[in-house]
Amino acid sequence: MSDSSGIRLENVSRAFKGRDTIVQALDNVSLDCPAGSFTALIGPSGCGKSTMLRLALGLDRPDSGTITVSGRDPAEAARAGLTGVAFQDAALMPWRNVADNIALPLDVLGRKRAEHAGTITDLIELVGLTGFEKALPGELSGGMRQRVAIARSLVTSPQVLFLDEPFGALDQILRRQMNLELQRIWIKSRATTLLVTHGIDEAVFLADRVVVMQSRPGRIGRVVDIPLERPRRPEIFTAPEFHALQDEVAEALDGH
Amino acid sequence: MATETARRRNTLRNAAIFLVLWEVIGDLRLVADGALPSPSAILIALWRDLADYPPHILATFEGAFAGFVIGNLVAVLAGILFAVSPVAARLGRGLNIALFALPPIAISPILVLTFSGMTPRIVLAAIGCYFVTMSATITGISQTDRRMLDVVRAYGGSRWKELRLVEIRAALPAILAGLRVAAPAAVLGSILAEFGGGGRFGLGAYLIGSLGRADPGRLWGIGLAATGMALIAYGICALIEARITHSTRAVNIAATAPGEERETRPVTDTLIALGSFALPFAIWWLLLKLMGTPEMIAKTPAGVVDYLFLAPSAPGAQSRLLAALAETLPMTIIGMAAGLAFAFLLALASVVRPGIVRGFMPIALVTQTMPLVALTPLLVLMLGRGPSVILWITISVTFFPAFVTLAQGLSMVTRGALDVVKAYGASPMTQLRLVSIPASLPWLFTATRLAVPRALLGVMIAEWLATGTGLGNLLNQSRGYLDYGMIWTVAVASVLLAVIFYQIVLIIERRVLRSYGMRPAD
Amino acid sequence: MNLSVNRRHFMGLMGAAASMPLMERAGFAADPFTFQASWINDAEFAGYFLAADKGYYADEGLELTYLSGGPDVIPESTIIAGKADLTLTTPDTTIKAIVDQGAPFKIIGAQYQKNPIGIVSLAKNPINEPKDLIGKTLAVPPVNVISVEAMLKISGVDRNEVNIVPYAYDPTPLIKGEIDASLDFTTNVPFTIEQAGEKATSFLLYDYGYTTFNDTVVVTEETLASKRKEIVAFLKASRMGWEENFKDPAASPPQFADSWFKGTGRSVENEIYFNTAQKPLMEAEGGIFAMSEEAIEANIKALAEVGISAKREHFDTTILEEL
Repeated sequence: MSDSSGIRLENVSRAFKGRDTIVQALDNVSLDCPAGSFTALIGPSGCGKSTMLRLALGLDRPDSGTITVSGRDPAEAARAGLTGVAFQDAALMPWRNVADNIALPLDVLGRKRAEHAGTITDLIELVGLTGFEKALPGELSGGMRQRVAIARSLVTSPQVLFLDEPFGALDQILRRQMNLELQRIWIKSRATTLLVTHGIDEAVFLADRVVVMQSRPGRIGRVVDIPLERPRRPEIFTAPEFHALQDEVAEALDGH
Repeated sequence: MATETARRRNTLRNAAIFLVLWEVIGDLRLVADGALPSPSAILIALWRDLADYPPHILATFEGAFAGFVIGNLVAVLAGILFAVSPVAARLGRGLNIALFALPPIAISPILVLTFSGMTPRIVLAAIGCYFVTMSATITGISQTDRRMLDVVRAYGGSRWKELRLVEIRAALPAILAGLRVAAPAAVLGSILAEFGGGGRFGLGAYLIGSLGRADPGRLWGIGLAATGMALIAYGICALIEARITHSTRAVNIAATAPGEERETRPVTDTLIALGSFALPFAIWWLLLKLMGTPEMIAKTPAGVVDYLFLAPSAPGAQSRLLAALAETLPMTIIGMAAGLAFAFLLALASVVRPGIVRGFMPIALVTQTMPLVALTPLLVLMLGRGPSVILWITISVTFFPAFVTLAQGLSMVTRGALDVVKAYGASPMTQLRLVSIPASLPWLFTATRLAVPRALLGVMIAEWLATGTGLGNLLNQSRGYLDYGMIWTVAVASVLLAVIFYQIVLIIERRVLRSYGMRPAD
Repeated sequence: MNLSVNRRHFMGLMGAAASMPLMERAGFAADPFTFQASWINDAEFAGYFLAADKGYYADEGLELTYLSGGPDVIPESTIIAGKADLTLTTPDTTIKAIVDQGAPFKIIGAQYQKNPIGIVSLAKNPINEPKDLIGKTLAVPPVNVISVEAMLKISGVDRNEVNIVPYAYDPTPLIKGEIDASLDFTTNVPFTIEQAGEKATSFLLYDYGYTTFNDTVVVTEETLASKRKEIVAFLKASRMGWEENFKDPAASPPQFADSWFKGTGRSVENEIYFNTAQKPLMEAEGGIFAMSEEAIEANIKALAEVGISAKREHFDTTILEEL
């Protein structure tokens, strides 16, 4: 199997020094996300899932081990524009309007915005924000901001997509809607996706497999495959096989 | 809405009562046999002298404006540099503290000796702006939402891209707030330099020329014009700030990054500390070399050392300096303590009884921008020429910035913490004791650091104009005797003194806050 | 539209604030010469203003730049720094700088034959002679303390019996009775006091043994060597200006009200009082600026009383001979 657009972590460790303590955020973690796969990372606070994401984004360096994104060093992959990212809290720039926020990665990568004008319009439509192009983030609701962040993560047509609790700040109802939309978007783009989440239902609904992590030290506990058909419909949230998978993940979280 | 209107009405009523009282006191010549003119007398004098004002105001504006532009430009660039490079920040520390702490009265004569024309005014106005805007820039940049930076970094954005696309723009509200505070400082800097600058025009020059007129109405009129200029400058900056930041208030809650202890490297750290100490001296020396000012007037660091320690006249110079220091030091400490205590009490009062402060604010604002030189004759008439006049002048210059800082600190005590004690029926006093006072500790230290150079400035002005003692008098006398060595020595000594005070406060602050598990307020 | 008008006005002021180049009757290349005055623009400099307005400097081939002074301007510094060619000083500070610091100054003339500083008091609480100061509070600018101490010593008054406090050239404390007397220009401050509704009385330090010039004309040795011609021309034109001015001391101040005196906030009547009062202090047998041998001797003697060892060589009378 070609690994040209996957994510691979091999024996990665990372520790943080506090005032008098050392926190082992990741301890000898290995993970392989094949090209075009959707992987969800779930685990208790402090299990190192966000650290793992930051390492894969090239925002941080491991103490030991190697990480490759699309076969390259993470920072290099980022500079090549192969990756897209959306964070919890949207992290929009309050002074940029919706279209400008979506275009931000283009500015960072030094690409001509004019050449991507069509992409931006399409993305705004995709996330259902047509008519809000000129709105500032302060004028949008939480869900709308989150959708801008998703659109922004897709503007470079990334091979690899990182989503760090993108819907963490939303209420349950809005979150369901966003999950559906994300699935729709992902099926269209087919980017290798790594989703960090707190929600078991969200993980099971979106991912091909759920990686359950444990803390102190941060490590991978179990990997649960999700063999559900795509596209998954909202009704599936109430289906028995969905509940069985949810229970399996929950058990894994409890350390069984 | 209704309370807002009521509050505004209250403020207006208090101001009106205050003005009427002042008018009666002035008209009945109750204070110092009429040395305190009534508001109407001041306005009449202002009207009578109206034709004199335009050239003076324009000249002051020119110095202040040029200083404002240059000072803030340098400040923003320096702030960016310091925010980006921790090493540069640590190297620049000595210079920054020196620029912050230097009493304008001490360096105004050496600026006049070194530069000519408008330059001393511009330099002093620029120095007045520098520290405020520089620190605001650093704060703004370092408080940028890290997640926004992560977005840029996640796309492989360079440090420059982070600055250009996120940090500078995110720091804009902070920078603009800095400019707002810097604007009156620029006006004051220009006026202070005019006292010694010898130009024909400028409010400071006008004030000095009018001191001999036995016309308090005019002195207050000039003070009022200076206050007006400072307030307008403040207002314009506030307006621009409101317009720019209005639509771009942050929509995310900034997350604090996991704090990692910086590794200590003894050798490098020592080198940087030494460099930080040496840098101000190096710049001082370099500037004089570049200016080509004659050696007799412009003393380099070596020149001051020679004057104070090596020259035949050194023992005399030393004893004069020490005698002056022995007079100035105790007054500075006592004045600062009194000013801070006053500010602290007033800030606490503002929590319990906000009305008191609103009534008091207008007077406080006037005393801040009113050039002290104009007020000193009045204070001398009211308080005589003893230590009390020094104390009052020092309190009046230290308390306001300290009060603003403390009131801000107290207002930032979290609702939640207050609600907890309120839920148990705590009285306002108990709330103060249990929550507000402990929570304002970091702000008290910040206020103390702000007060240090101002206390020294206040004491020196009082010594120079009223009591004829200490460093202030030594500076003035040396100017008269063309004792250039002593002028530089006093300037250096007062800056060093301010820096030492500042450092002592900083060390105590770190100790105390660490033991309380608190972080510095800024 | 408004903007351009304001801007021109503004630029004009910028020039005025920095310096006042006087270019008149241009036609031939005039020699630039810069004069640093010792105080803000008042009648103390009426002769120079008149000479400038009448074109005397231009006639002598000078293009004069006039720098105003003020309480915190140190005139000697300006000439050391090379920002001015010639200035007016107090002889004690100048000679102290020569003796103590080896400053390269030469005194080449004296505007005031008799130093106008004196002890000013209110007529209702008069201080008529040094002895009256015993037990009183006297405000003295810090710079002048040694002169007052010398005068007290010469008059046999113990300095410790006089309470000396700093003075910032503000007569208000005197008028309000906070102090009993002040050291100030007797040519000027009595007028201010009378304006405030009080009568003033005064005596000169000069008349009680402190026999010094004031506004001594000072140049650096270097300028004396390199610009001798210009210095002579300046003093010649200035002397003409002063002579013209003293023909009628009340006539010239009104002419300067809207030019030289603009913005000082002082009345023309004040300047006329000043101009009249200074006439007897300036006029000398040898003409304005003269320094007779006897006068120089008296200066040296008075300065010796305050511990300044002035010498004849600090005074250079050769320029005066060329006028």
